[in-house]
Amino acid sequence: MGFLELLDKKLIKVPLKSGSKNMLLEELIDLLNSEGCLVDRELALQDVLKREVLGSTGLERGIAIPHAKTTSVDRMVMCIGIAPGGIDFEALDGNPSSLFFMILAPPDQAGPHIEVLSDIARVTKSNAMCRLLTNAADADEVMELFEED
Amino acid sequence: MKGPIKKILVYIDGSEASISAAMYAIAFAKTSGASLSALYVVNTRALNDLVKARIFLQTEEDEYHHDLEKDAERYLNHVKKLGEEKNIEIELLSLSGTVHREIKDEIKRGDFDLLVIGGISQIRSRRDEFFNETDRTLRSVTCPVLVVKDDDKVWDIFESL
Repeated sequence: MGFLELLDKKLIKVPLKSGSKNMLLEELIDLLNSEGCLVDRELALQDVLKREVLGSTGLERGIAIPHAKTTSVDRMVMCIGIAPGGIDFEALDGNPSSLFFMILAPPDQAGPHIEVLSDIARVTKSNAMCRLLTNAADADEVMELFEED
Repeated sequence: MKGPIKKILVYIDGSEASISAAMYAIAFAKTSGASLSALYVVNTRALNDLVKARIFLQTEEDEYHHDLEKDAERYLNHVKKLGEEKNIEIELLSLSGTVHREIKDEIKRGDFDLLVIGGISQIRSRRDEFFNETDRTLRSVTCPVLVVKDDDKVWDIFESL
C-alpha cells in the first residue's frame, strides 16, 4: 500500500488553524479521529508526541512528517494539513513548517509504512510541488496535485 | 513432467497480492514441473533514504530494519508452508537492498525463466514518484513476468490442486 491508496480528500485540511506545534499535532490527530481512523485517540497523540521528543519531524523547506508506529490504529492511516503562513515546528532548518503529512501505522506494518514515507520523501523533493501544495486553496486542489490530471 | 519453463521466481513483499502470486506460482510449478523460489527483499535503500532525508532517526532505521527482517522470515515461511500443502518444495531467498534491482540481479544470477508478481498499482497519478517497487520491477526485469490478479480465482485454483 502506497501514498495514493491512503490519500483521502476527507483527510486533508486546508488551512490548519493551530498556532503551535502541540496544538497542530492535536488538530491532525482530531482530523484522523473525526473520520474514524483511530482506535484510541489519546494513545495516538501520546505516541506522536513521544516520537517528537526524540527529534522533531519538522524537516527542511517547510515540510513536516509527524509519524509513529502505534497500536492506536488497526491499519495505516495518513492525513495532510497545510498551514500557508507556516508555524514553528522546531524544524531542522529553523524555518516555519507549512506542509504536514501525518502517518500512523500499526507495529506489523513496517514495510508499507516505509513505502509511504519514501513516497512522501520523493514527491516533496520537488520545490515546485511543495510551493503548489502550500498555495493550494482547498483539499480538492491538493488531490488534483497528486492524482492523475 | 518438465515443460519449457524450468525455474520460476515469485516475489513476496507481505501484501495479500504477493501471497496470491505465491499460490498461483505453486499451482504453476506443480502443473509445469518447474522449480520454484520465493524472494523477499528487505528494502534497505528506502530505510537509508529516510535517514538521509532525516525523516527517520538512526534508532528508527535499526528498529524498522529488524521489523523487516522478521517480516521476511514470517512471510517466506508462510509461503514455504503453502508449498508443503501441495507437495512443492520452495527455495527461500532473502536479500536486502533496492528491491527492483535485487530482483533483477537475482533473476540473472539464478537464470530464472519466469517472474511471478502480485497485482501492480492502479494508475491514479502520472507522477513517477508513486511507482511502487512491484511496478519498477515489472519495468526493469529482463525475463517474462506473470502478473497475478483476481485473488478469489487464485484461491480456487490453489484449492483444486
